[in-house]
Amino acid sequence: MAGSKLSNLTKRRQRAESSGEPFVDALRAALSHNRVKWDGASRSLHSHDASVFDGGNSGPVVYPETTAEVQAVVRLANQHGRNVVPRGAGTGLAGGAIPLGVPVVVAVTKMNAILEVDEVNRVAWVEPGVINLDLTKQLKPLGYHFAPDPSSQQVCTIGGNVANNSGGPHCLAYGVTNAHVVAMEVVLPSGDTAMLGGLEAEPQGFDLRGAFVGSEGTLGIVTKVAVRLTKNRPAVRTLLMAFDDVRDAANTVSDVIAAGIVPAAMEVMDKQITAAVENYVGAGYPVDAAAVLLAEVDGLDSGVDIDADRIAKIGRSNKATDVRLAESEAQRQLLWKGRKTAFGAVAQIAPDYYLHDTVVPRSALADVLEQIYEIADRYDLLIMNVFHAGDGNLHPLIVFDGRQEGVLERVHAAGGEIITASLDAGGVLSGEHGIGVEKQKFMSRMFTNDDLDHQNRLRQAFDPHCRTNPGKVIPSGHSCADIQSLRSVPNTVWG
Amino acid sequence: MDLNIDEDDLNACVQCGLCLPHCPTFRVTGDETMSPRGRIKLMREVQDNDAPLTSEVLDAFSTCVQCRGCEPACPSGVPYGHMMESARETLADAGQMTPTWQRLAMKPLANPTLLNAGTRALSVAQKLKVVPERLGLSNEIPLTQSKLEATGSDVYLFTGCVMDTMQRSVHAAGLAVLTAAGFGVMPTGNAAPCCGALQSHAGLASETRTLAEKMMEGLEPNIPIIVDSAGCGAAMKDYGHLLGTAEAELFSERVFDMAEFLAMHMDRLPEPAAPLDLRVAVQDPCHLRHVQRVHEATRTMLAPYVRELVELDDEGLCCGAGGAYSIFEPELAGQIRDRKVASINRATPDVVASANPGCSMHLGAVGVPTKHPIELVHHAITGARGL
Ligand SMILES: Cc1cc2nc3c(=O)[nH]c(=O)nc-3n(C[C@H](O)[C@H](O)[C@H](O)COP(=O)(O)OP(=O)(O)OC[C@H]3O[C@@H](n4cnc5c(N)ncnc54)[C@H](O)[C@@H]3O)c2cc1C
Ligand code: SF4
Ligand code: SF4
Repeated sequence: MAGSKLSNLTKRRQRAESSGEPFVDALRAALSHNRVKWDGASRSLHSHDASVFDGGNSGPVVYPETTAEVQAVVRLANQHGRNVVPRGAGTGLAGGAIPLGVPVVVAVTKMNAILEVDEVNRVAWVEPGVINLDLTKQLKPLGYHFAPDPSSQQVCTIGGNVANNSGGPHCLAYGVTNAHVVAMEVVLPSGDTAMLGGLEAEPQGFDLRGAFVGSEGTLGIVTKVAVRLTKNRPAVRTLLMAFDDVRDAANTVSDVIAAGIVPAAMEVMDKQITAAVENYVGAGYPVDAAAVLLAEVDGLDSGVDIDADRIAKIGRSNKATDVRLAESEAQRQLLWKGRKTAFGAVAQIAPDYYLHDTVVPRSALADVLEQIYEIADRYDLLIMNVFHAGDGNLHPLIVFDGRQEGVLERVHAAGGEIITASLDAGGVLSGEHGIGVEKQKFMSRMFTNDDLDHQNRLRQAFDPHCRTNPGKVIPSGHSCADIQSLRSVPNTVWG
Repeated sequence: MDLNIDEDDLNACVQCGLCLPHCPTFRVTGDETMSPRGRIKLMREVQDNDAPLTSEVLDAFSTCVQCRGCEPACPSGVPYGHMMESARETLADAGQMTPTWQRLAMKPLANPTLLNAGTRALSVAQKLKVVPERLGLSNEIPLTQSKLEATGSDVYLFTGCVMDTMQRSVHAAGLAVLTAAGFGVMPTGNAAPCCGALQSHAGLASETRTLAEKMMEGLEPNIPIIVDSAGCGAAMKDYGHLLGTAEAELFSERVFDMAEFLAMHMDRLPEPAAPLDLRVAVQDPCHLRHVQRVHEATRTMLAPYVRELVELDDEGLCCGAGGAYSIFEPELAGQIRDRKVASINRATPDVVASANPGCSMHLGAVGVPTKHPIELVHHAITGARGL
């Protein structure tokens, strides 16, 4: 048993000597052996994020720990003529982090320190791999939180939030990520660093920070972020309303906003999704209602009771069959846990889902929903709806079993019609999940050729050689990358 | 290669990633291959697409602590624990995992005489300071053990293998408290030598089944079986699934964790002589919280008997002990423990209550003061001094 003196981990490290790939060896020399993965299993696992898209095996996967290491990786990629894809937790739903053209994947999960909480300027400096909910938990004793709360907040990273300009249920009152990022340090595609934005109210020059937020990793890699701290509100009331018709729920939402109330959140789930969610959390969701509306108000004690009352009245006047107030913080947490795990819970029904993310004017909510159910019928698909009702952000969820012959074609065709219906109603392509590879082909429906060319010019100003997350966001024909030629390796070939 | 994992179970994972932060190995490495989502995808590639079993794939599987923290976090109900057990069983049978020396090391667990001899040897060795550090043993093992006397026949107290030899004082406390609550207690002793948890983790399924059958034969029917080790309790509650018989199902139904049982009978428990003047942090063993899911009972049981209960802020993330994990993967186990210790330090407790001997030893090895919750209750009831 001579070998047993070495730990398994040490043995694993020693197993691989030279990789036979100069690029990989150079990366290992710059970082360390075990923070540069080149085995088939790792490369295969990085072929996808949480979306249905698959980019094939990635190139090497690296885990930098400092800005300097990110710079070193980017410079080496330039020298070796390789592409770069930044990656956080891989929960993206538009394929933003999938590897096109066998790039080096820069996973920032190890850069996860909260560097400084600056209460004077009301900001916290954090590394990009910090998990959204971890940040909020750390801030709690100080009375603050990070306001954007995507349903994936227990796992997604601040870097991913910045890149996708992510939103969440409570962004209705507080605004999406863009409103909560003050400044950031980025590693540009050249390998140099730059500081965008600043702590002062009106930073000088162009608002490049604004351009970078939502750029989905195509302009460079975020390595440090100054996020705004939002004060925790003293009082919260959460209402649960049940309706016999989705339309009534949608009308309630419009009426609440029209009445001048600004709820912290308003979320709707339809019957099927409520059943799946309730089965997981057991929060007491009414499973026989056609739609459930979760509305939350926060602020001062006296104010929230008045607002909650007014919302309840509006609900009842729209034929709410049941109106309830969360009785305790524990119950409130459970209701939100249900809402926030809705996408995952659908796997109880079928193994695959395709989640859409369009935004329609609030007044058109009910009509578009009706069209979506009609599209589902026509394609013989099960579509569930769960959405940020307050800002008209729809999340139709097509639930299917990918093993069925021909089902994917139907799913994509129905998805296309849903997007078209939303755009026709005056909506936009993406509420919060980004464009990635998913909605590229619809970009030309939203933007003119000129618009797209200008977007690409901005991109090329940052990334002249088109190496950072190539093939994403900007569609073929306007993109600097020749998307067709981005090579991919089937992902089960490893060894 | 067919890993004998149920296809529907595999397909239940939608790759959403919500489980990632609840996985201790992902937390300390940030590496997708060391995450539940990654491991499930690899199972799928190996089983469905015949991807080769490289050393990296085996590493991904063998670094899993089997804490099952990913299960309650998963909204689509992926039964990860059973999937990993199937994979390990298949791989152990094929000679790809769990080398012979590990199998041999587990042999004595199922055999009381051998185990006693082994533990005595270990105890002597500990006194002589020749036990290698990586075994991570903390509490000194006493050389002689007092015998546990039966006080009636209302309930069984499962005394098991590792736990019986190393922590008999915990059983003694449990026996005393149950008796004080008016239950006559029978220690199981040699009638039920070993629950098979460690064997099952190592993929030694036929050994586990044999042990389960032996235990079911050895114990009288219908009598509740009280278990004070979270890992053993979880394994025994799984016999129904393991053996797939109605009889095993019935057996599993009468297995209770100590706190789970006492929390149902709080009215029968004596008042504390004096609540212990202690700030107690509850450390939930994974197999109590994620598998048996009865961890709230520990709090119900403890609350009247201590001054203050505090929660750790890591939502039950594993401590890295994981049965024999801390011995086979000491580096990862150490990193995982560092996180736990940091969380404990933030809670500033006087003592940590942990209902699993593995966790206590693993934490005790770096100086964290731990007590089994039932010991705390016992102290409070008897007014015994000096913890
Ligand atoms: C169950 C579930 C619920 C969700 N709910 C919501 C929701 O309510 N609202 C919402 O907006 N989104 C939601 N999402 C989508 C997703 O979680 C968000 O887009 C999230 O911000 C992605 O973060 P990530 O760390 O996982 O990033 P990844 O998926 O790893 O990456 C996303 C994009 O960001 C880029 N990127 C990552 N890190 C960096 C960096 N450091 N520098 C530059 N670019 C980077 C990547 O290249 C990629 O293009 C949900 C996803 C799931 C699975
Ligand atoms: S195991 Fe569950 S939580 Fe984890 S990725 Fe799969 S479906 Fe999501
Ligand atoms: S059982 Fe524990 S270590 Fe294994 S994948 Fe699940 S959470 Fe991670």
